[in-house]
Amino acid sequence: MAVMEGPLMSGSVQEIVEVKKIWQQDERTLGIQWTDGKESLYDVVELRRQCPCALCVDETSRERKFKPEDIPQSVRPTVIESVGRYAMSIQFSDGHRTGIYSFRLLRELG
Amino acid sequence: VGLFGNSKRDEALREQVLEQLKTVQDPDLHRDLVSLGFIKDLTVKGGKVAFTVELTTPACPAKEQLQQECEAAVKALDGVSRVEITMSSQSLAGAATRVANEVDQPALARVERIIAIASGKGGVGKSTTTVNLAYALSQSGAKVGILDADIYGPSIPQMTGAGKPTHMDENDHIIPPQVDDIKIISAEMFAQQNQAQMFRGPMVAQIVRQLLTQVAWGELDYLLIDYPPGTGDIQLTLSQVAPITGAVAITTPQEVALLDVRKAIQMFQTMNVPLLGVIETMSYFVCDSCEKQHELFPRGGGGRLAEEFGVPLLAEVPLDPRLAQSADAGTVLVKTEPDALGAKALRQASERMVREQAKVHAQTEGAMTHFRLEWQ
Repeated sequence: MAVMEGPLMSGSVQEIVEVKKIWQQDERTLGIQWTDGKESLYDVVELRRQCPCALCVDETSRERKFKPEDIPQSVRPTVIESVGRYAMSIQFSDGHRTGIYSFRLLRELG
Repeated sequence: VGLFGNSKRDEALREQVLEQLKTVQDPDLHRDLVSLGFIKDLTVKGGKVAFTVELTTPACPAKEQLQQECEAAVKALDGVSRVEITMSSQSLAGAATRVANEVDQPALARVERIIAIASGKGGVGKSTTTVNLAYALSQSGAKVGILDADIYGPSIPQMTGAGKPTHMDENDHIIPPQVDDIKIISAEMFAQQNQAQMFRGPMVAQIVRQLLTQVAWGELDYLLIDYPPGTGDIQLTLSQVAPITGAVAITTPQEVALLDVRKAIQMFQTMNVPLLGVIETMSYFVCDSCEKQHELFPRGGGGRLAEEFGVPLLAEVPLDPRLAQSADAGTVLVKTEPDALGAKALRQASERMVREQAKVHAQTEGAMTHFRLEWQ
């Protein structure tokens, strides 16, 4: 059987993965330890570039509305906060605050 | 005896040390140091106990207090001659790390489990099921609350005879009225008599948020949320504001109902909410003159749905006229006629739901339900 990654629930197995610990690793790295033991590190500038919100991604074409280089290297989160038990919102220093990053997306990225 | 005897004693002492350390709580995280995983490198040798307490931040204001508490707790044990405690903090890759704390949502802080009762469409007996499940849980000794989130057509007050809330607590949180020890809050309690509920989306989100966070829920083992049918604003807000522990899907046996309930289940999957099981209502009809189970719809839809999602069918609840009659009369069948077929099925559903919830819970042991991290 194929190994299922991420908080997926399908077929006969419900795989639920949540955040066990979350921390600021260094000046631009976010660390997350998941309930299944996996640890992920994220470059926060890359997270800003991957923002899944409707302002950043065209809802019909699914295309990103900006180029990676449009996001300056200097961008940082200001506040990261849980949303329900499936996601977290990240507010960025460039004023962008509508991104809701699902654990599923984060597991794909990290 | 020699070495073997000693190591056995040490082994037993080690267990006792861990038990003692479980009495020491992190004042911020409100959990004990052992379950937080803060105790590292525990060694016990001939009565000498050594371990490291690894805190989340070196600047932990409670560091000294925790060290003293740990020392006192371990020294209280018989057979401990010396205690050596090293206080440290997590520093991955040598960088300054900052760990998010669990943030309290005061109103929900002491609510152990929040369970969504959902259906794809209306009229499948979802509210009746919710109320009877609540009573079944309460009968088994649990502290239970019901949040009637069906803003557009709230019916729980009528079904239970719950009055309106009259008091606020010291935090300006509404104290929910209780019926048979069950705390009940419904949008209907805040509406004008006989007035249709008309709200625009953003208002709905606001109302639902308040029902969750501005109510003095206090200590609850289970908070059941009667979800409005469908997959819209209300459902989304509920799942974003509250850390929903699990969902139960209610459906009738017909395929049409199943299409809708599938969408509701998929919404929960997107929100990472585990599905605890399916309850099929109106499974069959037993009239009062014969014992035959009359099937009103092709049988087995709920079972197929449960199989498809790999979850248990919690119960097949018959169409029991007494279920509807008791709901209209503001009484609850599980309480008034516990031996009725409908009541038995719903009690079974509640027992299975509890077991399933415990299983799912084991998977996400140690998860943070609320967190907030401020970047430095």
